[in-house]
Amino acid sequence: MIRLAAGIACICAWHAQPALAQEGQRPVFRVKVDMVVLSFTVTDNKGRYVNGLKPKDFKITEDGIGQKVATFAEGNRPPVQVLEDGSVKPLAGAVSEEAAAKGVDLRSDALVGTNVFVLFDTSNYMYRGFVYASDAIADFVRGLDRADSVAVYTYSRNLSRAASLTRDRGDAIMGLRKAVAGDDSALYNALLLTLRDAAKVPGRKVVIVFSNGPDNASMVAPDDVRAVAEDEGIPIYVISTNDVNKDSISSGVFKRISQRTGGKAYFAKTWQRQVEAFESIREDLGNSYTVTYYPQANVNEGFRKINVEILSDAAKKYRVRARPGYRPRGGF
Amino acid sequence: MRIAGLVLITIGLAAALNGDDLSSRAWDLESKGEAAAARELLRRTAQGTSDAQAWGAYAEFLDRHRDPAARGAYEKALSFLPEGSARDRAAIARRLAALDLLAEDRDAAARHLKEYSSAAGAQFSLPAAAPAAEQPAAMIEIPGPLRSFARMAALAPDLGPRDVLPALARNVVTNGYQAISSSEGLDQTEYLKLVIRYMSQARELDKLGGPDKVIRLESCETAKTADLLKVLGYRMRGGCGSDVVLETVNATRAFLTIDSGFPLADLEQALRSNRPYAYDYHPSRIPVLYGQDYWLSAKEKAQGEFIDVFLGDPSICRLYLALAKMDPAVSAALRDGSSVLKLKAFAHVLDFYGGLFEIREGKAVTPGGARSEKTWAELAGAAPDKPAQFFERLAARDDGWLASYYDALLRVKGPALGYLTEPERLKRFYAAIRGKVTSPGPARPVFRANTDMMLLTTRLVVTADGRPFLPGNLGVWKNLFIHHPNGKYDAKLAKAAVGWKEADDVIEALFALCRKAVDNEPLKIFMAVSDLERARSTPLKAETVERLVRDYRAYGAQYSLFAETPSLDDQTIVAFLDAAGSLNDIKDQMARADAAGSFQAVASIWQIFARQGSISPEKAGAALRDAIAPFDSVRKERDLFEAGRAGLRALLAAAGAPKDVNVQDATLDLLAGTAMRADADTHTQVIEDMIRVFEAQRLISLQSLFDLADNLERAAAGGKVDTALLNKVAARISEIQAPRASLTSGEKNQLGYGYWTDKHIDNQRKLNLKAAVDKAGADAEKLRAIRGALAPFLRDTLVGLNYVHYAPPGAQVLYTNPVFVRSHDFVGVAGGNQTWKRTEVYGSGWPANAGGRLVGSLSGLPYALAETEQNFLIPSREQALIWGDLVPQMLISSTIPRWWNVSHAMVHWVGLHMTYGESLLAESVFDPALRARVLDSLSKNAAPARARRVSEEIQAGRVVAALDEVTPAELYILGSEFAPDAKESSIAGEIRRLALENPEQVSLAAISRAFGTPKPTLSNSYGPELLNLRTFPTLMGYSSRIMAETWESNLLYYAALADEIHAHPAELNLLIPAWTQLTVEKIFATHLEDWPALLRSLRAVGDEVRQKARKQQAAVAAGAGAE
Repeated sequence: MIRLAAGIACICAWHAQPALAQEGQRPVFRVKVDMVVLSFTVTDNKGRYVNGLKPKDFKITEDGIGQKVATFAEGNRPPVQVLEDGSVKPLAGAVSEEAAAKGVDLRSDALVGTNVFVLFDTSNYMYRGFVYASDAIADFVRGLDRADSVAVYTYSRNLSRAASLTRDRGDAIMGLRKAVAGDDSALYNALLLTLRDAAKVPGRKVVIVFSNGPDNASMVAPDDVRAVAEDEGIPIYVISTNDVNKDSISSGVFKRISQRTGGKAYFAKTWQRQVEAFESIREDLGNSYTVTYYPQANVNEGFRKINVEILSDAAKKYRVRARPGYRPRGGF
Repeated sequence: MRIAGLVLITIGLAAALNGDDLSSRAWDLESKGEAAAARELLRRTAQGTSDAQAWGAYAEFLDRHRDPAARGAYEKALSFLPEGSARDRAAIARRLAALDLLAEDRDAAARHLKEYSSAAGAQFSLPAAAPAAEQPAAMIEIPGPLRSFARMAALAPDLGPRDVLPALARNVVTNGYQAISSSEGLDQTEYLKLVIRYMSQARELDKLGGPDKVIRLESCETAKTADLLKVLGYRMRGGCGSDVVLETVNATRAFLTIDSGFPLADLEQALRSNRPYAYDYHPSRIPVLYGQDYWLSAKEKAQGEFIDVFLGDPSICRLYLALAKMDPAVSAALRDGSSVLKLKAFAHVLDFYGGLFEIREGKAVTPGGARSEKTWAELAGAAPDKPAQFFERLAARDDGWLASYYDALLRVKGPALGYLTEPERLKRFYAAIRGKVTSPGPARPVFRANTDMMLLTTRLVVTADGRPFLPGNLGVWKNLFIHHPNGKYDAKLAKAAVGWKEADDVIEALFALCRKAVDNEPLKIFMAVSDLERARSTPLKAETVERLVRDYRAYGAQYSLFAETPSLDDQTIVAFLDAAGSLNDIKDQMARADAAGSFQAVASIWQIFARQGSISPEKAGAALRDAIAPFDSVRKERDLFEAGRAGLRALLAAAGAPKDVNVQDATLDLLAGTAMRADADTHTQVIEDMIRVFEAQRLISLQSLFDLADNLERAAAGGKVDTALLNKVAARISEIQAPRASLTSGEKNQLGYGYWTDKHIDNQRKLNLKAAVDKAGADAEKLRAIRGALAPFLRDTLVGLNYVHYAPPGAQVLYTNPVFVRSHDFVGVAGGNQTWKRTEVYGSGWPANAGGRLVGSLSGLPYALAETEQNFLIPSREQALIWGDLVPQMLISSTIPRWWNVSHAMVHWVGLHMTYGESLLAESVFDPALRARVLDSLSKNAAPARARRVSEEIQAGRVVAALDEVTPAELYILGSEFAPDAKESSIAGEIRRLALENPEQVSLAAISRAFGTPKPTLSNSYGPELLNLRTFPTLMGYSSRIMAETWESNLLYYAALADEIHAHPAELNLLIPAWTQLTVEKIFATHLEDWPALLRSLRAVGDEVRQKARKQQAAVAAGAGAE
């Protein structure tokens, strides 16, 4: 008889295989530990992004337990290693002992920029807006920061990987323009699979859904998918049109799912009028802070509440937007 | 080499002892599963020598494993043969000629045939080289690339030109038109409208392409650029140069542009960089069966091009589809004998049933052969020796009933065929199926409506004496028709049943019921009980059959449990039904659901243990009785916990698990399957996968539950409560989440229904174990009552172990929804009574209800789980059709069978048969006598049109093209039919050698069990088996599910592949699920019967695996060389 420990492997924020990275262009990562990647934005009382904060300006806790930040990055700038005394130094050539011991290689520019996973609804529900949404996504992809990588996925009843993660905008748009209109809509199945792919990639990542909402084929519930996004630290942004209001469920779900994961939902009148949404997302990506840490010992195997506190005097005027927490998982 | 009296082609070389030694050593290594080592031994021995025998042995080994290097090795053997070895020379040259043809090396084949002829004195030659494919006389042109048209028309991109119009015709017939309520006419669907709009856009682009059919733009700022963009529905935003962006200006056109795959991104890139742009827009040439003149009237010709008329007339499409899939000789006869107009009148019958019409030696082939020809002539109104007339009358008669009868009987083999086609019976059963009012016929609906008849004729059990087997006795069936508790099925039949005297009377009644559109319960009962009897050595007693018949409506879904284990005695079956009945008497609905769930879970675990051989057939009945007996007395939760525990312990004991073993580990170990010590790594990996799912579902281990229950019992007797254990279980319970419904309570009230499972989970979440124990203090009764509160958790763990065992590859739902197992609804939506019904998937596409869940009993759990996972598979090509029914069947075929007890001999057996099947087809090219026999054999399983294509390809010398038309299952059958008598073939010799040395392992039954597929619909059992049936079409009420169950090629193909790459048999437990997933992801089908698409996908996976393995082998060989 074979006896195994209950938990086989704890693989949380980062997974072992950067399957989507192109060979030769991207480094190979071997991550076997439960590192948490946390992205958040800070805004002032007028909603303007607050930049220039340093690692020592934050205190991060999980269930009230203080965490030791390993790396820190602002916007699309390269991450820096945070030392014991709170000072920082560049990562290149300076792998932290802790990270090295755990097999994490953080010396690459792969951590610069954001990995953007676009998920495009090509189901019947998008029939009328299909081409306009396609144009809108092309515009969005073109407008991404150079440092960002983008993958384009489409879905109807099944998911389709139209363009794998790439920094070449032409490749991404080529994939996008090959999308085929489908039939049923399994949005939450597709979102789950997209998150699973995104979770395999090191660095910061977001999923951006372009959809008018209804789902008539998914087996998983929106909040189960949201929980995966929370656990993996992947914000979900949803870009939709007012058509979504025809489905009384979707608009509410979109708002909640994006809010809980640290993303946002946008509803424009038409697909052609998504400029503001794109600008807002780009600003989010360009103005967010990303920290990584290895969770301190915590007996809680359920939902761990994350809190980001600003330590400076101006803290009261600032608002932090981050995912509320995550569940350490038994691995997928 | 002369081994075990078999003839190998190097027989003449066998004199040297060294050669025998070498072969023996290689054989020993191979038998032990060290095929790679055997290969290396032979390679090393041969290389650097001029020893024909060594090279021959090496070549044969490679040949047996379908290694392309075999040709080179045979060449060496041939070149080193001493003078006077004519027989060996002939044998090697012949084998080389066959391998050359398989490698599409015609020149080498001709050379080797010449050498063979001179050595053997025979005169074989290759047929004259024919053009790559026979071109029909007439072609039409469709503007633009075929891939664009295929995307718009939803056709698989891999279709050959010949298959385009038939596939299009099928799509037009099934998806092109819809009835409109305001009139009797048909309206075009959105699908067809888009195809027609695309044709219009494509013609405009064709014009822009000019005479050379290439759309060229010299630069961004030209009038032609504007024209092109206008046709495409786009405009430029921003001036020419790097700022230019294409955006939609005409949504309808732009949709066609994108959906047809026009390379818009390339165009945009060219405009941005201001480079010339060129796009090849040559029209696609498509063959038209019999030419367009045959299909179009003069008026139609004036109306437009062929393709426009074709798309606009579903009746032409239906007839085209029918004739295209028919034996060309039959369709030609019909064409010559009737006008298009006349044939259109019964095109629907020809479409559904014409596929098996066949003409041989100038006569129509009829089921039953010469004995029944006269009767067929009488029934159809024309003699089979006038085939055109015969088939026309057959199709035109009675709106398709006779044709459907003919089609069903052509699928029957063995004694049943003799019984059903006895002339008098043939007429009698036809009269029953036809009835007095023939309309609507079975070909009128979208799917064939003669499903029940096909099932009856295919699965009817006829004994060796030619009589149908009636389970129980005649009285049971008379009683069913006369006194059925649920009401009479048919007043006339009920009246007639009083006078029934023989089995034929029952069969006639079943035929009569087949024509009814309503649910055919008597036939379902008859088939279910017949399937239960099929493999039994002792038939069930009449009273047991009577009970099964009576209880079918309530418990029929559970009968597959009995069918899979033919050693079950009457007593056990009755005990099961009694126990199920007694659980139904539990008043409290939640307790009843828990009891039924636990009972079914224990029975299902028994089924798995019995299937995997952990419980022997002799002990199976007693084990099931012991496992379910504790449930007899269950009335409340506390009884239930004890019953569940006792039931499981009984199973573990029957499976030989030691008493003091960790129950959780032992159960998982047995569920994974009993492995040999050498397979420990693979076994561990399987168990790890199972544990991951178990953990993701936050289930409580059996051991923890049992330990806690024991501890509470000890505490009740005055002992101490184990706090650590209590905390451990309580912590696990606290992890149980409420189903994540994603909605506010208002939204949920508005849209969601209540589920009983929500209540089940709520109750579990409410249990504060520590508080309950504290409150109980030393009160023995209260402490014991807490054991009862553990019963729902035990139910979920037992049910979860079944889920874990059947989890399909990936198992996204099981990993994502942590309460998926707990959500299993044993009651049914809104209190419906689904406790004993087949498992169903409920709530998919319904975000309001926390995702989908399974409802009903566990009897269809494997299939239902596969259904939940199928849409998570990601097609490797854009939005390819992955269709329901086929994919779940493929998935369960990879999760239900386990291959721990499969030996190298068994895997090699399958591989050799496939290789030999290929070889037979190759040799048929130059051996006319063999060709006739091979094609005759193939035609028993392949439809006539396909058999004809194989024949044509063989006669033209194109073996690879012929093989593309043959399924792996057919190759296997071909090999098994010819191998016993093929004295000259080394591969057949190896097959016979395996049969001699491992008679039990390679027996029909063993191979069927190892590489057959579960057929829950067709044979009411999840037990894997090979039935060797013709692939069924889609059928009313089953869609493509039965078709999927008759598709038996996958596992045979994978087994041969494993043999080829020298995989260890136990590795199949990991490889087959992975290969299956890859196969599904590569399918790009056009329609529900597009199994050639599946075949293409299967072969693509094979190529990938082979390529990888060859690379590894080469690396190993290079490494060995370096040493």
